[in-house]
Amino acid sequence: MALNYSSIDDDGAFSFRNLERNSKLEKMGLKMPSFRKTGTTIVGVTTRDCVILAADTRATSDTIVMEKNCEKIHYIGKYMHCCGAGTAADTMQVTRMVSANVSLQAFKFPDEMVPVVFAARSLRQYLFKYMGYVSAALILGGIDDNGSHLYSIYPHGSIDKLPYISMGSGSMAAISELESRWNENLTEEEGMKLACDAILAGVFNDLGSGSNVDLCIIKRDGTRMLRNYLTPNKKPATSKYIYPAGLTKVLAKSEIKFQITEETVMEVDA
Amino acid sequence: MSLISHCGGLQENSVHDLEKDEVSTGTTIVAATYDGGVIVGADSRTTTGSYIANRVTDKLTKVCDNIFCCRSGSAADTQAITDIVSYYMDLSSIQMGEPPLVRAAATIFRNLIYENRHQLTAGIIVAGWDKKFGGQVYAVNVSGTIVQQNISIGGSGSSYLYGYMDSQYKDGMTQEECENLVLNAISLAIKRDGSSGGVVRLGVLNHTGSIQRKLFLGDQLPKFYDNVLVKPQGDISGGDTTMA
Amino acid sequence: MSSIGTGYDLSASQFSPDGRVFQVEYAFKAVENSGTAIALRGSDGVVFAVEKLVTSKLHEDGTGKRLFSIENHIGMAVGGLMADASAILDIARGEARSFRQSYNVPISLKYLNERLSMYIHAHTLYSAIRPFGCAIIIGSYDSTDGPQMYMIDPAGVSFGYFGCAIGKAKQTAKTEIEKLSLKTMTCKELIKEAAKIIYMVHDELKDKQFELELSWVGKHTDGKYEEVSKEVYEDALKYAKASLDDDSGSDGE
Repeated sequence: MALNYSSIDDDGAFSFRNLERNSKLEKMGLKMPSFRKTGTTIVGVTTRDCVILAADTRATSDTIVMEKNCEKIHYIGKYMHCCGAGTAADTMQVTRMVSANVSLQAFKFPDEMVPVVFAARSLRQYLFKYMGYVSAALILGGIDDNGSHLYSIYPHGSIDKLPYISMGSGSMAAISELESRWNENLTEEEGMKLACDAILAGVFNDLGSGSNVDLCIIKRDGTRMLRNYLTPNKKPATSKYIYPAGLTKVLAKSEIKFQITEETVMEVDA
Repeated sequence: MSLISHCGGLQENSVHDLEKDEVSTGTTIVAATYDGGVIVGADSRTTTGSYIANRVTDKLTKVCDNIFCCRSGSAADTQAITDIVSYYMDLSSIQMGEPPLVRAAATIFRNLIYENRHQLTAGIIVAGWDKKFGGQVYAVNVSGTIVQQNISIGGSGSSYLYGYMDSQYKDGMTQEECENLVLNAISLAIKRDGSSGGVVRLGVLNHTGSIQRKLFLGDQLPKFYDNVLVKPQGDISGGDTTMA
Repeated sequence: MSSIGTGYDLSASQFSPDGRVFQVEYAFKAVENSGTAIALRGSDGVVFAVEKLVTSKLHEDGTGKRLFSIENHIGMAVGGLMADASAILDIARGEARSFRQSYNVPISLKYLNERLSMYIHAHTLYSAIRPFGCAIIIGSYDSTDGPQMYMIDPAGVSFGYFGCAIGKAKQTAKTEIEKLSLKTMTCKELIKEAAKIIYMVHDELKDKQFELELSWVGKHTDGKYEEVSKEVYEDALKYAKASLDDDSGSDGE
């Protein structure tokens, strides 16, 4: 470390006093607290006349499940939604910002649908500027006057336009479902089923993904956000433990006889 | 290409990490001039670490109607650079009132890559046709060197192609000969290079002023000796081999 | 131009009630006071000729030139205030250099003309600055685009030309130029005619001494702008003087 942080003045806004100590501690094996990352499964599927987005609902921090039912499908516009994987704070912030710009665009051109590529480009330019440090891996889906569109956007700012996409730690499990079953003539129902199955593959086979399935169907006649469309990990409603008498098997019996000797100590006046 | 050191093969920790591994086009790209224009070609594999993020990528990216580029290196970087050059070329065609020169586009690529060479990982082949100089190919490498070539290869797959290209390329080829050469080259590289694969995309640029695209799916690629699975006689792994 | 400014001529940023900008018109006057400069565009290039007035016998020959090279392939002739012209020359050379820097190709004359026109025009808009008191002719040759030529006046207005003239005797010069069949003539023919025209329009009564400047750019110079060689210069000079003697002989009768 070329810089000697402890020599930096503490008079300013920031204190770097502990930086050197912390790096030494880290070298000794201390694990520093990290950001909350959504080990995730998200997918996007285009069908004949709609775009379907789906996501699991588990948020993890290291090996701990921090939230069992979080929302990973973010609102961008009336006909645009975006699944996010990566650091939860980043995906939420970046989608919120783009959502604001999309609504401004919608005000400017009230007779047109906001082009999906507008959101894709805004996201890309923002992520590229931060060189991958804003860790948001996104699947952007939507419909505009030019048809339906599905983009994947990586944290470093690269874009791919594809008919079906999976991302997140469960993407490998999900892509196998998509690769084997997707075709360009899927109906809406088939698309929903495929998207759900892809997410379920992640939920059941990836440690970072779990809990429920959220679904979002974007069509020309409106967007349907189906929160907790599937809940495959529901806890039973009642959880009383009842053990009827005689449930435990008696293996052996033995009798021990006690001889009780009574002894009394009394205080006697002298 | 191994412009990104972590892009090919398996790593120590082979589970891919979205945030750590940059999306890169471990690639085979080729551009060649022929009698009357240029042919550009590329495979379609995009990887994040050992994971294929896109198996049908289009690495032949439009800069303007008469100029295309073949991208290799970081997907994000090359897409962003191409966007900027595309903007400059659109502006220039309005200001000049005619399609831009390929040389001008290539120089802008070079300037951007050179000025930002410490931040970027981008190896780009710029190819196109203009009225003044005809079909041209310029290669801009990661460090910002620009070279004009009759034929240029790039990406991780190019290591397997140097000898082939040296032996097969001739000046004054016809369009068809040149298309075959580029198709063969990319097919060969796909077979040998782990980070190249998928389909082969070709593009023809000539006096028509716009690209003519061709697509070759995996089962339409030319076959070479590596596909002929005839066991050599006296296979060493065979059980009761009689040594000749 | 005969009307009087009456207060509306103090600033380039103010119109007169009849819609004129006097400061700019005065700039045109500055050009009309200078020695004549002409340029002719033939089939294979552009030739420039300038009547450089020598105001003092003490001046060294060949100094205070009015023909300049902007780039390898672009030449410029100027008329008007020389200091203003050299400022524009500087800008033009900067434009050409920066274009080559960014695109690695020589700047096209069309684009340079546009940039210079806008630059000169921008100096006719503000009260704090004075319009350029000069007009310029730029010419180039390119194997694909052929010969090209533009003239820009002090207002920043420009046109492409086959032949043009600026300075004192521009009217007479233009009449002479119109007699030539420019489109079919070559540089080698035109350079003589250009020299002749300069000699013809020179007014010996008003300006005693002058120096003829000749330069060209074309196919024969391999697309490079250059001053003509000594032989060509002498030939052209001889031709100009000879035809002038003929004319004056016939005129005199």
